Amino acid sequence: MALNLGFVVGILGVVILSHAAYSTVQYRGLLKIMEEEFSGPPLNVVVELLLGLVLCMWAALTVPGTFLSIHPHSEENRIVSLPANLDFMIFNHRARVFPVEMDLNLKH
Amino acid sequence: MVSKTEETQLNRLENQVDNGGGGAWEYLCLVRKLKVRRSEKVLKHGLSILNDIKKRSSLGPDEWTLYEQVAIAAMDCQCLDVAKDCIRLLRKSFPESKRVGRLEAMLLEAKGAWAEAEKAYSSFLEENPLDQVIHKRRVAMAKAQGNISGAIEWLNKYLEIFMADHDAWRELAEIYVSLQMYKQAAFCYEELILSQPTVPLHHLAYADVLYTLGGLENLQTAKKYYASVIDLTGGKNIRALFGINLCTSAIGQLAKGRNKEDKESSELQSLAATALEKDYKQRAPDKLSLLTTALKSLKVSS
Repeated sequence: MALNLGFVVGILGVVILSHAAYSTVQYRGLLKIMEEEFSGPPLNVVVELLLGLVLCMWAALTVPGTFLSIHPHSEENRIVSLPANLDFMIFNHRARVFPVEMDLNLKH
Repeated sequence: MVSKTEETQLNRLENQVDNGGGGAWEYLCLVRKLKVRRSEKVLKHGLSILNDIKKRSSLGPDEWTLYEQVAIAAMDCQCLDVAKDCIRLLRKSFPESKRVGRLEAMLLEAKGAWAEAEKAYSSFLEENPLDQVIHKRRVAMAKAQGNISGAIEWLNKYLEIFMADHDAWRELAEIYVSLQMYKQAAFCYEELILSQPTVPLHHLAYADVLYTLGGLENLQTAKKYYASVIDLTGGKNIRALFGINLCTSAIGQLAKGRNKEDKESSELQSLAATALEKDYKQRAPDKLSLLTTALKSLKVSS
């Protein structure tokens, strides 16, 4: 659901941005006819641009996934134990004296 | 490396599987990924999957990984019949495999047939002299026979070739600590810190070794490493907090009269003590009185 929402917002942002581009091109065409200098896009296009930017940014930050912590002491990164050194595992320990009390067999 | 979230996840899954809540395959995958040694549980739950034809065939090619995992777990629990059956099935499907050959040699080890296992490993090494796992098995075999000096010799030879293998460095450090050869162990831990500077447990082990060695300089270094553990874990490592307290009081005893940086160190100690008290209050309020008396005795002696 969140992905879908983010995706729709992203598409909306792109549409708004392309509409802003289209209106700027049109505005320049109009200026050429009126023979005036182009100093900057009109205010409503600037507002549209900012809105599109914000929407696109929000979508780009939410759709790909959640952020992972980079702090060494966060729960995901804090190392609490090292893996057992399984390459150096040895078999003559107390299991030899205390066998597992289970009737285990591979049945095939 | 087992992080805090992974540990909680493992415990949750273990609980769930033990109480018959399903998820055995996920549990076995997690055990394999985190490389923890839960042989008895792996054996029990792995066999329950392998004996159920429907579950087993749904695994697809992962079935063989499970056979290998269960075989090793069975050797660890001394259920040699199960291990033998698993290896027999693996051998039937992979007649030429060296990995299965290794398992067979490990089965010899588990039986205690050292000479035969040694023969098998040397023939593997003749074919491929750079097989790291086989080299490590030989070290383990020397250790299992009680030949610790032999194990050290093999490990040192191995580390001359594969210097970047931090598991081997850790093993060597642990062997040295078990023999109380702390200077050598400290060297190994230095190597470990160099290769994995963000793992707080190496810093902790190094600090422990230095504290055990004693002497003013070593104690001061140990305190610094305890402090770096606190830095890396955000103060959630109880052992490091205790270490700071112990180091400070030991330094205070040694450097009586010459108190140059006394003020700074006592500040660090009181901060560590406060953190400890806070943690005890939160998690074990009934043991708080024990902690306060222990801390008081440390402060009195310094």
